[in-house]
Amino acid sequence: MASTLEWQVDKRDGGTVVAASGRVDESTATEFAEVLGEHAETAGARLVVDLGGIEYMSSRGLRALTLAHRRGEEAGTKIALARPNETMREILSISRYDMVFPVADTIEEALAS
Amino acid sequence: MQVRFWGTRGSLPVAPKAGTIADKVADALVAANGRSFADKAAALAFVEDDLDFATGRSYGGATSCVEVDMGEGPFIVCDLGSGVRELGLDTLRRCAQEGRPKEWHIFLSHLHWDHIMGFPFFVPAFMDGAKIIIHAGHPDAEQALRRQQEEISFPVPFDWLKADIEFRTLETGREYEIGEVTVSVILQHHSHDSYGYRFRDRDGKVAIYSTDSEHKIDQMHDENDFAQFFGHADLVVCDTMYSLADSVSMKEDWGHSSNIVAVDLCHEAKARRLALFHHEPTYSDADIQRMHEETIRYEELTRDTDALEVLCAYDGLCVEL
Repeated sequence: MASTLEWQVDKRDGGTVVAASGRVDESTATEFAEVLGEHAETAGARLVVDLGGIEYMSSRGLRALTLAHRRGEEAGTKIALARPNETMREILSISRYDMVFPVADTIEEALAS
Repeated sequence: MQVRFWGTRGSLPVAPKAGTIADKVADALVAANGRSFADKAAALAFVEDDLDFATGRSYGGATSCVEVDMGEGPFIVCDLGSGVRELGLDTLRRCAQEGRPKEWHIFLSHLHWDHIMGFPFFVPAFMDGAKIIIHAGHPDAEQALRRQQEEISFPVPFDWLKADIEFRTLETGREYEIGEVTVSVILQHHSHDSYGYRFRDRDGKVAIYSTDSEHKIDQMHDENDFAQFFGHADLVVCDTMYSLADSVSMKEDWGHSSNIVAVDLCHEAKARRLALFHHEPTYSDADIQRMHEETIRYEELTRDTDALEVLCAYDGLCVEL
């Protein structure tokens, strides 16, 4: 059976915080891209992707962030990443995704970025 | 099977400037910290053992040319970048010393300049009695090679070459027995298309040559086909020219891939080794070494079961499979 992610969505002033838990790899990347893309269109000014529950993310998950960013741009939504664990922080650095998306230690910082 | 790298640079040949060599020598002297060496062999051992690659050596600057060598039979060569000049001379030496037949099977990834520019300097093409078979997925391969030897570009016309030169167009979805190997082909995303090759020898060893291949962000499902094509390979030579972020932003549609996608494809394929290849010409040796170290780390972070060995191709590297 294909693995799935667990999702939590929290509407805040000025944006939406979306948290997924699990591993974003080839078996979950499609779900990750679809759910994130939908939120990017409806999140408001800021979509914060809470990475606190993400174990790690493969290239397909990272590229899902880019696809969501593109859908968000059309809706006027900007994406920020929050609370990556050490593994995710390294992956964001190696892929240079930390130069494309703001990366914050807390949800609040990400909402304000 | 041995895989020998004669050219590993992407897009444009590069060469170190005087200042680049001076920097390496200065860094080596600082690292030696006053040590003295009895002879050159001792100094070379210091370079080998104590200096990092970017200080003591260089990844080189010739454009794409990779040999898949079975140690006997005709020569198998991927691409005709500027690295093929040296390959031509070395294979002629092997013909003379080891009695190898004067027969070369060339497999072209595509017809862009950096992948064909070495052919006018490929000495076997000038030799009577040499047989050269150029395989490509492109039916216009002959046109591309003839065109670069028109008078406006080069003084020796294609028709003056003395070797027996033949062009064969390969199709995807089937296997070919060529020389000592079985070859299959996959279509890749690149301007005017490119093709990847899977070589299997009689012992079942598999080498993949997949360069100038962009894995499109809006076609990620196609990557399953590549993972299958790379399946259980002993070595995957993969285009890793850009960072993932660059490949989906400012360099999207430039036809190249990233180290991150290469590792993911090899993990999915359960390949044994990955060789980072087609290095960005603006990268220094230190930049390429950093990319290699980061790729090894990414592989560790995302590994599920078996380890994937991550090599960084350089001009002169030989990998025994």
